[in-house]
Amino acid sequence: MNEAVVAAGVSKRYGETVAVDDVDLSVADGEVFGLIGPNGAGKTTLVRALTGTTPVDGEITVHGEAPTAVDADRIGLLPQSFSPPARLTARELIDYYGGLYATARETDEVLAAVGMAAAADSWYETLSGGQQRRVCVGIALVNDPDLLFLDEPTTGIDPAGRQSLWSLLEELADGGTTIVLTSHSMTEIQRLADRVGLLQDGRLVAVGTPAELIDSHGGESQLVIDTDQAAAAVDALTDADFAATAGSTEVVVDGVSPVEIGDAVAVLSRAGIEYGSLAWSEPSLDDVYLQLTGETFAAGDADSKAVTTPPDASSPTGTESQQEGAQ
Amino acid sequence: MSRTQRIRAEAVAAWHSFLRRRTAVFFTFFFPVLLVVIFGALVRTQPTDGGLFAEPAAYYIPGYLATVVLFTPLSRVGSEIARHRDDNRFEKLATTPLGRGEWLLAHTLVNVAIIGLASLLILGLVIVLTGAVVPITPRLALLGPFIVGAVVLFCGFGAILGRLSSTQDGVIAASNTIAFPLLFLSDTFVTLELLPGWFAPLVELSPLTYFARGVRALTYGPAIEKPYGPELAVVAVLAIVFFVAGAYAIPRTD
Repeated sequence: MNEAVVAAGVSKRYGETVAVDDVDLSVADGEVFGLIGPNGAGKTTLVRALTGTTPVDGEITVHGEAPTAVDADRIGLLPQSFSPPARLTARELIDYYGGLYATARETDEVLAAVGMAAAADSWYETLSGGQQRRVCVGIALVNDPDLLFLDEPTTGIDPAGRQSLWSLLEELADGGTTIVLTSHSMTEIQRLADRVGLLQDGRLVAVGTPAELIDSHGGESQLVIDTDQAAAAVDALTDADFAATAGSTEVVVDGVSPVEIGDAVAVLSRAGIEYGSLAWSEPSLDDVYLQLTGETFAAGDADSKAVTTPPDASSPTGTESQQEGAQ
Repeated sequence: MSRTQRIRAEAVAAWHSFLRRRTAVFFTFFFPVLLVVIFGALVRTQPTDGGLFAEPAAYYIPGYLATVVLFTPLSRVGSEIARHRDDNRFEKLATTPLGRGEWLLAHTLVNVAIIGLASLLILGLVIVLTGAVVPITPRLALLGPFIVGAVVLFCGFGAILGRLSSTQDGVIAASNTIAFPLLFLSDTFVTLELLPGWFAPLVELSPLTYFARGVRALTYGPAIEKPYGPELAVVAVLAIVFFVAGAYAIPRTD
């Protein structure tokens, strides 16, 4: 398969700060490549390097040419924190950016694709944040690019809008468009990306398919039991060969497959342990991200992997329904 | 054809964006009108008194026109560049076929239209409010090239200011700092006789001086026989130089 983007030894410094550090990367034609990493990891700088909008050390080719030499009609870009000219309607903005290219998609078609047909004649600044971002995605798509760079495209978009944009991006990917996507949403990346690169401190610390990264760095599935009898629960589960560790009000059991949840519940019942809820989760890109970046979750973070049951399951009946849900 | 289409798309967007900012439109036209009313209609110093505004009213037509020809492009283009940079619009435009020169040309065309209208308004007000007499001769048609040339020149200058200033506030401050001395020390409102002798060579360095002298040769009776060609040539050459420099100054991302 041909490479749409190739970067070799790409580095970028701002004074003493190293924004991108010796990054090697390739994106195949038709691939969706997700870039993840903490704030300040270098994602936006790398996108700028790949689009030729910032000079860097190292070599980059896009469709076999230098980024600044490639046919602009083939490239689409949604920069981070982008805001188009004020006092123009969504329709006028799509018309305007479409007018900059030799050929462009029909304005109404683009507006419909990003779910903005109904608000097409509203001024950009009167739209909600999510609607504004959708217009910006439409602007990036207006020239029907072969290669699309989207720097946090769904920031500020509500869940329904996000789902529709994901569907749109999946359609584009199915149609052969190469997409380089940065995001803080692991759900988004896991759903859309064929391969993922994780940047930290400017270095590309891991690259692979979501499944590969999860296998390598995601750890084991976990069962989290909310209970005031943590020590007793750990004793009972350990006796039954589960790998359990106690927190203050919870017990974490590692390496529990879905079919083993019932066994763990039975152990708790036999030992007379009461618990508030059970939550089972598979390892995900969140775990990969946390493992590789060394960051931790704050309560309330979006895209939490756990599926938690209501805290009324202090009886075997509760655990039955828990077990069914998990399976 | 494609280049024309791109410039048209950029110019139409800039034109709509400007026209719908009511305060921007109001003050673009109100500022020069205010100057005409204050200095032309209220102050009305008599020609025999000496000092400022001691010449016949038509003498100051270049000065009134200079207010829009100078201030508007400097602040508008400079601010637009600062806004574009803040909103990452140049990063987006850098990946489109629109070139930097095309961008500046589109915005210059919008400024030519705005300043052309403002100039007509000022000319009418000066004639009506101050009783200035403008000789109607074929030479008067050359007012257009002078205004277009000066607008192109100061749009290029504004682009350079926009590049050098990191914020919109910085652009406004810089453009005012540059424009005020130029406006009053370029043979516009203040005659050379009122300035110290050692200052005269500095007046010759101001691009606005050539605009003022050329326009005066077209619109002011006692100067109507003076040549305007050299002034028009200087304005044209400077317009090209500043436009090219301004186009190169337009930032991409870094």
